[in-house]
Amino acid sequence: MMDPMFIALSKYRRRKYGECVENCTQILDKNPYDQAAWALKAKALTQQVYIDEIESEEQGIAEMLMDDTSIAQFARPGTSLKQPTSASIGGPSPAVRPVSQAGRPLSGFVRPGTQSGRPGTMEQALKTPRTAQTARLVTSASGRFVRLGTASMLSHPDGPFINLQRLNYGKYAAKPNLAKVLFEYIFHHENDVRNALELAAQATGCAQYKDWWWKLQVGKCYHRLGMFREAERQYKSALKQQVMLDTVLLLGKVYLRLDQPLQAVALYKQSLEKFPNDTTLLVAISRIYDGMNMIEDTTKWYKEVLISDGVNVEAIASIAANYFYTDQPEIAIRLYRRLIQMGLYNVELFNNIGLCCFYAQHYDMTLKCFERAVAIATDEQLADVWYNISHLALGVGDNNMAYQCLRLAVAADNGHTEAYNNLAVLELRRGDVERAKALFRSSAELNPLAYEPHYNQATLSESLGDLQTSYSSVLKSVEAFPDHVDSKNLLVKLKEHFASL
Amino acid sequence: MVAIYITLLQVFILSSIYIKMTSEDQDEKEKHSNWLNAHYDPVAGFYTFSTCITFADLNGDGDHKLVIADLGTGLYNMTIKVLKGTSIIQENTLLDLPTGVTSVYMDLAEPRTPGVVVASGSGLFVYKSMRPYYKYNLPLLPVLPEEAVLWDQANNENLDPLTLAEALDGLKKSHPTSSFTARTSHFLQIENDADARQFVDDHKHKPLKRETVITCVTTIKKSMAEDDAISCIVVGTEHKQVYIIDSEAFTPLQDYEIASVPVIVNVSGLFDVDFRMFAACRDGCVYVLKKDSLQSRVCIELDSSIVGMERIHKHLIFALADKTFSCYTTRGKQIWNLQLPADVLCTAVMDHRAKGFKAVLVGLDNSEVRVYREKNLVDIIKLNDRPQALCFGRYGREDSTLVAVLASGALQVMILKRTAEYADHSSHKGPPMSQKMKLNIPKKTQLFVDQTVRERENGTKMFQNFQHDLQLMRLSVAQTYLKGLQSSMTPLSDDPSMPLKLSATVRGIGPVFQMLLTIENTAAISLNDPKLATGLIVLFKYSDTIYSIKPLVLELPALAPEISYKFAVRIHCIASDRPAQDTITALIVKRGTKKPLVTANISMPVSEGVIVV
Repeated sequence: MMDPMFIALSKYRRRKYGECVENCTQILDKNPYDQAAWALKAKALTQQVYIDEIESEEQGIAEMLMDDTSIAQFARPGTSLKQPTSASIGGPSPAVRPVSQAGRPLSGFVRPGTQSGRPGTMEQALKTPRTAQTARLVTSASGRFVRLGTASMLSHPDGPFINLQRLNYGKYAAKPNLAKVLFEYIFHHENDVRNALELAAQATGCAQYKDWWWKLQVGKCYHRLGMFREAERQYKSALKQQVMLDTVLLLGKVYLRLDQPLQAVALYKQSLEKFPNDTTLLVAISRIYDGMNMIEDTTKWYKEVLISDGVNVEAIASIAANYFYTDQPEIAIRLYRRLIQMGLYNVELFNNIGLCCFYAQHYDMTLKCFERAVAIATDEQLADVWYNISHLALGVGDNNMAYQCLRLAVAADNGHTEAYNNLAVLELRRGDVERAKALFRSSAELNPLAYEPHYNQATLSESLGDLQTSYSSVLKSVEAFPDHVDSKNLLVKLKEHFASL
Repeated sequence: MVAIYITLLQVFILSSIYIKMTSEDQDEKEKHSNWLNAHYDPVAGFYTFSTCITFADLNGDGDHKLVIADLGTGLYNMTIKVLKGTSIIQENTLLDLPTGVTSVYMDLAEPRTPGVVVASGSGLFVYKSMRPYYKYNLPLLPVLPEEAVLWDQANNENLDPLTLAEALDGLKKSHPTSSFTARTSHFLQIENDADARQFVDDHKHKPLKRETVITCVTTIKKSMAEDDAISCIVVGTEHKQVYIIDSEAFTPLQDYEIASVPVIVNVSGLFDVDFRMFAACRDGCVYVLKKDSLQSRVCIELDSSIVGMERIHKHLIFALADKTFSCYTTRGKQIWNLQLPADVLCTAVMDHRAKGFKAVLVGLDNSEVRVYREKNLVDIIKLNDRPQALCFGRYGREDSTLVAVLASGALQVMILKRTAEYADHSSHKGPPMSQKMKLNIPKKTQLFVDQTVRERENGTKMFQNFQHDLQLMRLSVAQTYLKGLQSSMTPLSDDPSMPLKLSATVRGIGPVFQMLLTIENTAAISLNDPKLATGLIVLFKYSDTIYSIKPLVLELPALAPEISYKFAVRIHCIASDRPAQDTITALIVKRGTKKPLVTANISMPVSEGVIVV
C-alpha cells in the first residue's frame, strides 16, 4: 500500500486535481489535523478554478462609464485609450481599415477588449446593439468572479471545505507556509477578496513588511476591489524589494485602468532592461499601442515579439492583418502560411488567406481557401466568409453571385451590418429603391458607429429629395468618420441648400 | 498741442486697464495684433444688436459716448444706456423693445448737441442731453372698413363677443393678417368667453387704431454733408413702407411703398439735392428708392437671407445666411463673391478717416471678427465669444475704436493701433497646399516581384484553375442560396406579392433582454394599390431551457409600405446558474401557409447572471 499522501501529491503533479482532492479528503477524514493534506487539498481546489490574473481583464460597461479613476477626463490625443488616435494624426482610416461593431479598427487577433471600443456615454453603451460578438459585461468586478465562486460552491453539496467565517486569520498569518496556500484558496477559489485582503494584510505585517509576495497579494486584492492608487503603492513597494514580472505586468494594468497608457509603456520598457526580450512584456507593449490605434508602433513591437518568440500567434496574426490593410497582402500570405505550418486550422485563417491571395493576385489559390473555410465554418463565421466571397464576386464583376453571397451572409448572421450595406448598394443597382432604403436603414441601426451606411443613406435620400433624412444621416456619418471628405462635401451642399431662399 | 497730449493720456489710461486684465496668453497674441484690448467686461450683461449701438457726442464737447439700447431680457427691463470710458453714466427705461438707435442733429443751436432717436414699436423716442424730448408716432394706417363696422357694433352691444369672433375670423380669410389692427389679433387669441367680454368692455371707449412696427431706422443729411449738419430720419416699417421724417418739425417728408419688409436701409446723398436709398428686404431682394420717383425698383436679388448690408463708396457689400460674402455695384452687378468659414452674426463698417480707407468688419459664429478691405482679408480679431453686435467709430477721444457686444453679454472695447497697416492686397497666392501632399503608397516588395514572375510563367494555368474554381463556387453559392430560398431561411423575402424585411437588435444586459424587431414592407408605393401586407404573425424558435419569450406569438397589423414597424419582445434568460447564450430564430409566417416568409437568426449576447453578493 502506497502512502496516500504520496499518491495525492503525484495526482496533483499530474494535474488530476479532482482525484487529488478526493485522496486528501480521505486523509483528512482520518486525521483532521494533517496540515500537509489540508494544504494540498486547498492547493488542488485552487488549481481547479485558477485563472491567470494577468491575462484576464475585460472592462465592463460600469467600469468604463462610471470611471472616476482616470487622471484626465479630456486627455490629449495620443495619451489616452479613451480617445484613440484618429486618422488625421497617424491612426488608421476607417475608409481603409474597417471598424468592428463597437467602432474600433479591426485587430488581427481577437482577445478581450479588441472587439469593443470605449463607448462615450452610458446611453451609447446601452444602445449599441448587443450581439454575441459585441456584448460587454456590465462589470467585471462582480458578475464573472462571483459566478466562478458560486460554481465551485455548487460542486460541494456538503458545504465549503474551509469555513471562512470561523477562521482565525491572525493564527494563520503567522504561519507563512499555510498562509500562502490559504490566501490563494480564498482569493481564487472562494473569490472572497475582502477576507483575502484581511489575511494578506495581517500576513504582510507578520513578515515585518519584508516579503514582496505578500505585498503583491495585498496589491492584487486592492486591484480587484478597484482601489487602484492603493494597489499601485503596494506593487511599487513589492517591486522595490524584488523585481518580478508578475508585479510589473500588474502595475502596468493599474496604469491602464488609470488611463495612463504611456506610463504603462514606460514601465514595461524599463522592465525590459531587467528581463530582456521577455515576450509577455513585449506583447503587453504592443497591445497598449494597439489600443491607442498607433498601428506603426504596434507592428514594430509585435516584430520584437517575433524575434524572441517565433511562434507567437498573436504577433503573427496582428502583423499580417496590418500588412493586409496597408496594401501588402503578399507579405500577409507568408505570415498566415506560417500559422498554418504551425498547425492552426480554422475558418479565420483560411478566410484570410483566401482574401490575401485574391488581392495579391494568387487567383488559383483563392477559391480553394474559401471553399475550405465554408466547409468548416459555424454560422457566425459563415456570415463573414460569405461576405468576403461577395467581395471576390464583385472583383470579378459577377454582381449576381455577389448578391447571392450577401444574402447568404445576412441569412447566416442577421446582424451583419456590412453585408446589409453592400446588399443595399446592389439592390440600388437593380433599381429597387425601397428595399435599398430599408437595408441601409437596418445597417445603420445595427452599427451606428460605421460611417458607410449613414453616408450611403444620406446620398440616397439626397438624390430622392428627402433632405431632412439626408442631413441627419450625414451628420452621423461625419461623427463616425470626421475626415471623410465625401460626407463633408455632402454636408456643405445640404447646408447651402437649407440656407438658400 | 494740448489736445494731442490729452489724447495720448487717454490711451495710456485705457491701456493700463488692459494690462491689469490680461493673462500671459493674451500678451503673446497681442504682439502680433493690430488692436489694443482696451476694456473687457465679461459681466456687462448687454443684450443688443448692431443696429442698437451708436457713438454720439452727446454734450458737444468732443467726448464721444457710447449709446446702447439694451433689450434687457427680451421681454422686460429694456433700457437705453450711455457709457463713458468704462462705466455707465446714464440709464433710461424703455417701454418696448428697441429696434434701432441713431443720433441726429436736429437744430442749429450751439453747442452742437445731437439728439438720440430710439425706434421702438411704432414710435420714435427722441432724447436730448439724455432727457426725454419728444415722442413721434408714425402715421396710422387705415383700418379695414368691415373691421371697423364690426367693432362699432360690438361697442354698442349689438354684437356679442362670440359672433364678433366668428365674423372677424371670416374676415381673416379674405384679407391678409397684416391688414388687421392689433386689437383684432389680440381678441382672436382669447379663448375664454368671459375674458373676451371683458376685453370688449375694456376697449369700448378707445378708438380703433392700426399701427405699424418699425423694423429699421437710419438718417439722411438734409442739405449739407458736414458731420454735424441737420439730418432727417429714415424709417422702414413692417407694413412694407419707408418714411423720411423731418427731424425739426417731425413731419413725414416722403413715404415709399415697397414689395417686401425692409430690414436694413442704407442711404447715400442729401435729401434736398439727390439721394438713393437701398432697402434690403426679408425676401432677399434689395430695392432702390430715389428722390424723384415714389416707385421702388429691384436692384439685386440674392440667393439667401441678408444678414448684413454695408455700402462702401459705390459698392454694396452683403453678408448672407449661407456664409457667402459678396460685393455688388449699385446697378446690381456682382463684382466678387467669397465663402466665409462660419455663419455671419453681424457686420459693421470700419471708416478709418485718418488713413483714408473703409473696410467691412464681419462677426462670425466662430468668435472671429474678420476685416475685409475690398475682397482681401486683412485682419482677424479673435474674441472670447461670438460677437452679437459690432460698432466702429470714435469713442471718448479715440478715433478708431471697435466695440463688440458678445453673445455672453460681455462688452469688449478695442483700439486700433496707430502702427496697424492694412495693405490692400491678398496674402496667399499660388497652387493650393493639397497639391504638395504625397500619397502614402507602399513600396513594391521583393515578394511581389517574385510573384509576378510566377504569374508570367504560369499565367494560363492559373487562369484556368481560377475559372474552374469560380464555376464551382458559383454553383455552390447558387445551390446554397436556392436552399435558403426554398426553406425561407433569409431575413429578406423575394416573394413579389409580399416583399418583407426583418431585422432585429437586442438591448439590455440580461437576464432580461428586449429584442427590437424591425419589420418593413419593401413594396414600392403606388396610388391605386395600397400593397398592404396582412395576416402575418411572428413566431420564435428557441431553446426553452435557456430562454422564455413573451409574447410567444406576435400578431402583426397590416403593414404599409415605406414604414418601418418596430415591435419589442421581452426575452428572459432562465438559465441563470451558468453563462448561457444561444441563437433565437424569428419567423414571419402568413396565416394558412406552412412555409415561413422570412427568417432571422439572432445570436443573443451572453446574459449577465443575477448577481448575489
